[in-house]
Formats: sequence, C-alpha cells, structure tokens
Amino acid sequence: MNKTVAIAFACLVALAIPLAMRDDYVIQLLNIGILNAIVVLGLNFVTGWTGQINFGQAAFYGLGAYATAIATKSGLPWIVTPVLSVAIVLIASLLLGLPTLRLRTYYLAMTTIGFGEIVRLIIVYWEPVTGGTSGLRAIPPISVFGISPHGLIQHYYLLLAMLALAILVAVRIRHSALGRAMIATKDSEIAAEQSGVDTTRTKLLAFMIGAVYAGLAGCLYASSIRFVSPDSFSGVQAVLLMTMLIVGGMGSIAGAIAGALALTFLPEMLRFLGQWYLVLYGLGVIAVIVLTPGGLASIMTMTAPRRGVAR
Amino acid sequence: MGQLVVNGLALGSIYALVALGLLLIFNTVQIVNFAQGQLLMLGAFIGISCAVTHELPIALAWAATIVAMALIGVVFMLLVYFPLRGRPPFLVVLTTIAMGIVLENLALIIWGPLPVSLPSPVRGPPLRFAGVVISMHQLAIFGTLAVILLLQFLLLTKTRFGILMQATAQDLHTARLVGIPVNRTIAVAFALGAVLSGIAGLLVAPLFLAEPTMGGGLGLKGFVVSVIGGFGNLPGAVIGGLFLGLIETFGARYISSDFRDAYAFIVMIAFLTAWPRGLLGEKASEKV
Repeated sequence: MNKTVAIAFACLVALAIPLAMRDDYVIQLLNIGILNAIVVLGLNFVTGWTGQINFGQAAFYGLGAYATAIATKSGLPWIVTPVLSVAIVLIASLLLGLPTLRLRTYYLAMTTIGFGEIVRLIIVYWEPVTGGTSGLRAIPPISVFGISPHGLIQHYYLLLAMLALAILVAVRIRHSALGRAMIATKDSEIAAEQSGVDTTRTKLLAFMIGAVYAGLAGCLYASSIRFVSPDSFSGVQAVLLMTMLIVGGMGSIAGAIAGALALTFLPEMLRFLGQWYLVLYGLGVIAVIVLTPGGLASIMTMTAPRRGVAR
Repeated sequence: MGQLVVNGLALGSIYALVALGLLLIFNTVQIVNFAQGQLLMLGAFIGISCAVTHELPIALAWAATIVAMALIGVVFMLLVYFPLRGRPPFLVVLTTIAMGIVLENLALIIWGPLPVSLPSPVRGPPLRFAGVVISMHQLAIFGTLAVILLLQFLLLTKTRFGILMQATAQDLHTARLVGIPVNRTIAVAFALGAVLSGIAGLLVAPLFLAEPTMGGGLGLKGFVVSVIGGFGNLPGAVIGGLFLGLIETFGARYISSDFRDAYAFIVMIAFLTAWPRGLLGEKASEKV
C-alpha cells in the first residue's frame, strides 16, 4: 500500500515538474538524467541482478547513438533507427558476451573495459563517418510518420514515457522465470546450475537485455540531444554509469533511477569545485561502497519500519 | 627491424614491471589492483618533483620516490582493500578504480595537465650495434627489470616473507590461526607493489613524457600482460610484457599507429578465449 502511494507520488512529481520549472537548463539536464536512468536500468540486469561486472554499457549506449546519428544524417527515416540501433547492439553484445561471459570478475571487468576502449578508438579514428573527436552535429530530430516532439518539454514527456516503459519491462522480467534465474546466478552459480538454471544462457540474456536498453537510450539521445561526441560514451562514462548503480543500490529499480538522476545533477551543482569534484567523487564512491553496501536504496529501507523476519 | 625489436623490448620491460607489481599484490590477497597505473604515474611525478623542481641528484630522487611509494602503498591498502576484506572481490575492483580517479585528479591539481620530462638515471652515448641504436636509458630499463625479477624471485621462493605471502594467499583465516601476521604481510605486499609501479614510472618518464592521465593505459597493459603470461606467474609476467611490447611496436609500424592501444585488448581477448590460463599457467585459477 505504502509502495503504491510512493509510486503514485513519484509519477505526479515527474509529470508536474515542467509546470513548475520552466528553466531550459534544468529540463535539459532532466532529459539527460532520464536517458542515463534507462541505461543504468539496463546495467542493473547484468550487474545488479545477475552479478556480472560490466564496463561496456557506455559503449553500447554510444553504438546506439552513433548508429542513429549516422543513419538519420544519411537520409534514412527516423522510424528505422530504433530497430537499427537494437540490431547493432545485439550483434555487438553477442560478439562480446559469447566468448567472455564465462569469465570471472577481473577478467570480465577487463574485457568489457577493453571493448569500450576499442569502440571509442573506432569512433575517434573513423573520422569521415563518425566526425572523430569533434562528434556529429545537427542530427535530424525524432519523427514518427511526420509527427515530432517540439521543444524540451515535449521531449521531456516523451523520454519520461520511455522510462516508464523501461521500468515496466524491467519489473516484468524481474518476476519472470528469467528474472529468478538471474538472481539465482548472482547468489550462487553452482547452486543455480544444480537447480537446472543454465547460468551461461542467463548471463548472456541479461547482458543482451542490458545492451538493448543502452542501445535504445543511445538512439533517443542522438535524436533528442541532437549532438553526439566520443566523450559522452568513454570509459569514464562507463565507470560513472556503474557508480550511479552502486550509489543508487544494486538490484533496486528505484535505486537505479535515483542514482542516475542524482549523479547527473550533482556534477552540475558542484561545478564550482572544478577539478576537486572528481577527487571528492572518487572518495565518495569508496565511502558509499565501504559504508552502505546496498547504496541509497538500503538507506531508504533502513529508515522504514521492518516487518517480519529479516532477510 | 632490429631497432623495432629493441624499442619493443624496452616498452615491454616497462609493462613487465607494472605486471610484477600487480603480481605481488595478487599473490598475497588475490585482488587485482585497477589503480596500478595511477600509482605508476604518481611515482613518475614524485620523481619529477624531486629531480626537476627541487633539483635533487637523480639517485636521491629515486630513493625518495621509492620511500614515498612504499608509504603510499600502505595508505592505499588501508583505504581501498582493508575495509572490504571478506566482501566480494567485485567491490575492490570498484574501490581501486575510484582511487585511480582520485589519484589522477589530485595529480592534475598538484602538477597541472602539461606533460613534463624527467632525466634518465644514466648518461652516456648510445651503443651502436649493426645499425641498431640502443640508448643508455634502454639499457637501464633492461637492467632494472633483470634485477627486480631476480630480487622478486628470491623474495618469493627463498625468504620467510615469501612463504608468509603464499600462506596468506592460500587461506587468510588459517594463516591467521597459525600465527602469521596477516595484516603486516598484506601491508608489505601493497607497499612493494606500489614501489614497483613507482620504479616503472621513474623509468617511463624519461622515455615518453609524464602526464597525470598516463596511468590508465599503462595499468591496463599490466593487466593484459598478466593475462598473457598467466596471472601470478613470475616468468610469465616478464615474457608477457616483452611479447606485448613487441606486438605494439610492430603493430604500430606495420598495421596502424592510431589503434596501438587496441592491440593489447585484442591480444587479451584472444588469449582469454584460446589459452585462458596464460602462456605459463597461473597460480590460483579463479577465472572460469
């Protein structure tokens, strides 16, 4: 009951923000925050639920964004770009996932960092197509059979709807057989295998679902922000996405969204700190990992009254 | 051709030193330090502060850097590893990455973003040999690697401390039960690991220039080298390092220099698929 009230309240606030706030800068940041939230929700399948480290999420985000940017700039209708982005990230996630998902922690961390770096190098050096370090500008906007959103606020509502869809799909998957297989894989691979869970298949599926989330968010990023550059999808960004998930709370949908929004706004609010911001950011991540294993989501549940047997 | 081999081996020796530092920590606590490259960068800049800014003689600058790195190694351990003992190793990956970000940005604040140069500890005319030029600094790199390899081999196999490290790596709780000073062993391992990457930094700064962002790439190379040679394997780290140095130098010359940083990852993924235990095998397999 309490949960329903909280969700209804969050929805109302999200819908009402553009009415109270007409500042373009804030709305644009919210739009980027919502896109990040979709990417982090995708990462949550892999890292939060299946327990596999993944620093390739920013690269999938970038692949989706660049696929859309290049396709629409060369004259393809917008409506094909989500399909194109998904196809590309699915191929990439299969190529990366099939040989590597049997690897443990460090090796998986390294191969996904390596994958991200290779994608970044291709973007930077394939200049005639990708625009190199200066990126691609004036990307055609979203347009579905001639209907396009106008202005930041319409984009905000569109992205919000996409986030809601992403949350619904995530909830459905979490409570399906696949979702339970993911949790079982994280808790103990041996026990999961004993209970008939194909852990390699589960990991691969989680990885591909995560990549699709990132690819679609990338597609929306390119055609709503209308500018892409390699910096937005670098290894630094991959670590930031992981940080959003950890700070929010691994395995929690609300936590993933809260972490993504908080860490999109925090750097802007602390801009006056300059270089010191990144020093504090690093120390803050260490503090969160050491002090609150469950992230922000666990603080929320800690303050709520506990009922029944502790987990 | 011969020149490329020499340059490749010199670069590879640096990678091998980074991998040897990773190995010391890995062989004690089974943790991979993802900030090893940033420790290297710190070593290079502490050396520059001593030798260039304060104009200390180069030998003194080296000594000061080594002492400073040992202390930094212990503080590093207390911050990123100690509070997370017994928790999933996954978390230590993240804290070491976060500490790498902290060190890199502290260096940007202290030393600024511009590349700086450090003089080589050795001077003299380069050797010429059948059309191949070997600089004194390259000789110093080969010499340092050989000395450190020997010292580390003796430390791990012939001393009491080496046995303590092995015992800690095999089973931390049992090691503590039988009276091994586990925490002190771990602190020394981190100190030595930091010193090794500091030395690598002192050697790499005269070769290229030192800049605060140099650490990330070099740290990852050290990891790739460990995968090639087999994690925790001493000769493997050296052979893997030299191998990667050669691949990068020849790849940059004959294929494309833009993608020279990608070769390491392609080689690593190939090795993980084909020879997951590395060329010479690894000590404790926790890979699959």
